[in-house]
Amino acid sequence: MVNSRATFVFLTSFSLLSACALLSAQTAAKPKLSASAIQIAMVEAGDVQIPAEFRFAVYERLVERVRESGAFQKVYRTGDHAADGVPDLVTLHTTVERFKEGSETVRGLTTVLGATSVDITASVTSRDGKELISHKITGRVRFFGENLGVTNDLAKRITKLVSASYTH
Amino acid sequence: MRLSTALIVALSVASFAPAQTTTSSTTGAATDANPNVRHVIGLDAVKHNATGKLTVEDGALAFKTGKAADKVPVSSINDVFIGTETTQAGGKKGRAVKTAAIAAPYESGRALTILMRTKVDILTVSYHDPEGALHGAIFALPIGQAEQVRAQLIQAGAHAAPIEK
Repeated sequence: MVNSRATFVFLTSFSLLSACALLSAQTAAKPKLSASAIQIAMVEAGDVQIPAEFRFAVYERLVERVRESGAFQKVYRTGDHAADGVPDLVTLHTTVERFKEGSETVRGLTTVLGATSVDITASVTSRDGKELISHKITGRVRFFGENLGVTNDLAKRITKLVSASYTH
Repeated sequence: MRLSTALIVALSVASFAPAQTTTSSTTGAATDANPNVRHVIGLDAVKHNATGKLTVEDGALAFKTGKAADKVPVSSINDVFIGTETTQAGGKKGRAVKTAAIAAPYESGRALTILMRTKVDILTVSYHDPEGALHGAIFALPIGQAEQVRAQLIQAGAHAAPIEK
């Protein structure tokens, strides 16, 4: 009786440990994608009403932050002819799904209300149009700062996602 | 006691407000001739949030601060957008005052939020560099001045889609 109980405990522990080891091995084994260059596409808004300054601010901040991250040897802007000849070029697309403009005054007065938020889908595609990464990301400005501050938060999150997935 | 302290703080803030309004309106009058513009982002040679002069001259949109300058040829501009934004008045000093006011008793510092806000025009200039790469330069101007700069740019030959109303 005691022996069978000990065997059960041993087997259960062994399977649990094996499962943990397998899981961590899978996580560790997930290889990083590789590309020497990335092109940042202009932020697409589709039918979502978002002021032009927000789209351009996200685009400009993305170019800056992805360059600073060092995940790619070269970072090109949309339309840059120098990117035409790069064979392993990938493109970062950003599409706005929802935009909610808050109020700096309300934020300052209440702290909890008046947040500005932007929901986007960030995706990376290869030259042949194959989607390599796709994630939904939300950028917010909650407390202090002007509404345009949301673009900084968004660019930071997108850059984190891209630089975590790529190595050159 | 609590009420009187809150009242004193509110009155001190209120007495500070007219002086500030007067100052900003004086600055506003001066900016008509010599605009004080904040570069939000987009020009490579100028730091973010640097304040300087924005002019349309010699076929280019020029931005000059005390330390740096950058130009965008009007011929490379493919669109100009205008928006508005509510922002912190008083620049860096204003931000410091507002942060310090958080420590004011009974959250009376929040009153500064109402008094120290200002509305600005946002001018977004979309242009291509010689390699064809898309850039967007964003500026914050005193309210009502972005339309003037946009008109000057169009007059100088910049492309701009009609403003949607």
